[in-house]
Amino acid sequence: MKKKIAVVLFSVLLVTSVFAGGAQEAASSDKTTVKMFHLKVEIKDALDEYAAQYSAATPGVTVEVETLGGGADYGGALKAKAQAGDMPDIFQIEGLGGYNVWKDYIASMEGEPWVDDTDLEFVVDGTVYGFPVAIEGYGLAYNAEILAKAGIDPSTLTTRDAYEKAFKTLEAKKAELGIDAPVAMAASLAGGMWWVAAQHNLAVYWGGGLDFTDTSVIEDALKGKMDEARFTEYAKYVQLLFKYADQNILLNGSYDDQVGSFAQGKTAFLHQGNWVDPNMAQMGVTFKMGYAPHAFTNTPQTGLYLFAPSWYVVNAQSPRVEEAKAFLASMATTAEGHDYIVNKAGMIPAFKSVTLKPSGQLSQALMEANAKGGNYGVFFGMLPDGAGQNVFGPVYDLFAQNQNNLNQFISDMKAAIASLPTM
Amino acid sequence: MKQRSVVNILFLAPVVFTFIMIIIVPFSLGIYYSLTDWNGVSPNIHFVGFKNFSKLFNTPDFIHSFLITVGYTIINVILVNIVSFTLSLIVTSKVKFRNFYRAGFFVPYLIGGIVLGYIWQFIMNNILVSLGTTYGIEMLQSSFLSRPETVIWVMSVVNTWQFSGYIMLIYVAAIQSIPKSLMEAASVDGAGFVRNVFNILIPMMANAFTISLFLTLTNSFKQFDMNLTLTNGGPATRFMGVPVKASQLLAMNIFDTATANKMAEAQAKAVVLFVVLVVVSLIQVSNNKKKEVEM
Repeated sequence: MKKKIAVVLFSVLLVTSVFAGGAQEAASSDKTTVKMFHLKVEIKDALDEYAAQYSAATPGVTVEVETLGGGADYGGALKAKAQAGDMPDIFQIEGLGGYNVWKDYIASMEGEPWVDDTDLEFVVDGTVYGFPVAIEGYGLAYNAEILAKAGIDPSTLTTRDAYEKAFKTLEAKKAELGIDAPVAMAASLAGGMWWVAAQHNLAVYWGGGLDFTDTSVIEDALKGKMDEARFTEYAKYVQLLFKYADQNILLNGSYDDQVGSFAQGKTAFLHQGNWVDPNMAQMGVTFKMGYAPHAFTNTPQTGLYLFAPSWYVVNAQSPRVEEAKAFLASMATTAEGHDYIVNKAGMIPAFKSVTLKPSGQLSQALMEANAKGGNYGVFFGMLPDGAGQNVFGPVYDLFAQNQNNLNQFISDMKAAIASLPTM
Repeated sequence: MKQRSVVNILFLAPVVFTFIMIIIVPFSLGIYYSLTDWNGVSPNIHFVGFKNFSKLFNTPDFIHSFLITVGYTIINVILVNIVSFTLSLIVTSKVKFRNFYRAGFFVPYLIGGIVLGYIWQFIMNNILVSLGTTYGIEMLQSSFLSRPETVIWVMSVVNTWQFSGYIMLIYVAAIQSIPKSLMEAASVDGAGFVRNVFNILIPMMANAFTISLFLTLTNSFKQFDMNLTLTNGGPATRFMGVPVKASQLLAMNIFDTATANKMAEAQAKAVVLFVVLVVVSLIQVSNNKKKEVEM
């Protein structure tokens, strides 16, 4: 009997030691390795190259980049890493939701050299925590050639009435212009496109026509309150976009369907951001395009929507905080870093000192708008996790199916906003 | 005797250990987390009792997911078993190329659920729609996947297409194990094909039905991969006055909750799914067992 117990104990001991061994890190050497884990799969090659370049130029420091993205579950993977004791030194968050989950792991970046060079750093309670990866932004992208043929001047599209007139003209000349529908809009859960409507379009209600940093509308919403007059104006604009959209793309199109239809000249407007520039290049698009504002009221609006979609943050519990910060700072402050952001990765830099210009037409349009000012902020990152996908997404999908039922949409949205404080 | 028990333990230990580490421990942790407010990361975990569970019964999207999962399971259990039983009768008859058919019907099962979902999504959203537009068939002009009332049926059809080849094999094996003499004797006595099937075949292969019903039942209840790629939960529909996802089955509802960093709530839903699945399949198996006959 004693022997039996001894054997059991021994085997338990043996195997637990094996399990425990897995979590330990390899013995340290004199070379410091900074691990970075990010989710922008489209800049993987550029970032790998920049990390290698930086490692070669910086004695004693090696930056290792790991990429996960393209719809993969980044948050889940990061949690797995945290559980395994293999938390990266630099990782990425997409807003306040991510900050709240990971705040134990996020170091302050106060006093970094790039902080005064940008407007889009991630700030909580006055302390800087995140390095803006890029500027992204959107308006309603238009195909300048189709609009010219239809006799529409895009600079007049600053009110909802102007849009309605333009859409009607396009609808009437559909056959002549060779288009399927005026707008390529997507709102379907099925196509995985809820974010176009429930994040980017809804951001028009949160921030449109207001000061760049004015978050009053969304702050009210987080307390459960909806500005009914403002929302009704906005809802009419959504209805307009839905009515004149290609219905198959709207109801179950994928990203490729939506962007492809615009790239092939089958639609005159596209509700997407500047991240479609590489897609346009891939599909060999040659026509001129630009951005018109999401003008949802009849008071003219001219601004585009600009935001940093994500931020790099440094793991506060890592012993390599300084090395990690230095790597990020090099992106913002050195010529090589600027070259990487703009030319290699094709992003719009969030730093004012950068003078290089991106190659995509829509990115250029955003950069011009950024220089001109008068743009609107994008605040959907302040919403609780899952609000876009699980609460607002179905509301838009249902409205897309029943486009005439404006009042139902408004009351659904009111109820959805009222449920936010309990989420 | 004493030595043998040591040997037994030594041989069992790795398996028992693995079982404890990958089943018992995670399972107990799961039940524990369902009683807390854990968000998946934070080290501050508070015990909240049954709050997560009581909240579930006021959540329209969870109730909706639960009900459509039950509906989907019922449709599937019936559809898959009828189709695969029919197929098994065909491929055990004297039809030409029956081995080719057996292999052919089984192939869809070998395609992963993710790939299969995308293939059928393409068929439903692109091929059928463009056929409808080209030939002016109005019914096909909008995708079946964009209509809340048809989407569950489309999923059941796809699942049947995938799964019935597998269940068919179980039935084929059962049919082949029945002695030919029984059927021949019945034929001599004047029983036709239909009578043979209902009075000899079906009672004799009751154990195959037990297994097949169990497999289809549990598989439909836990359906996830094809759900994710084929419909992604869409389109939206109205339930209890709230817009919810029309084809979001229970597993996907749990997944969506978990990815919104509500780990504890997702865990509670998973526990509910587990309990329901255990109860339903126990009832099914014990009922079916009673109908089995011994040779």
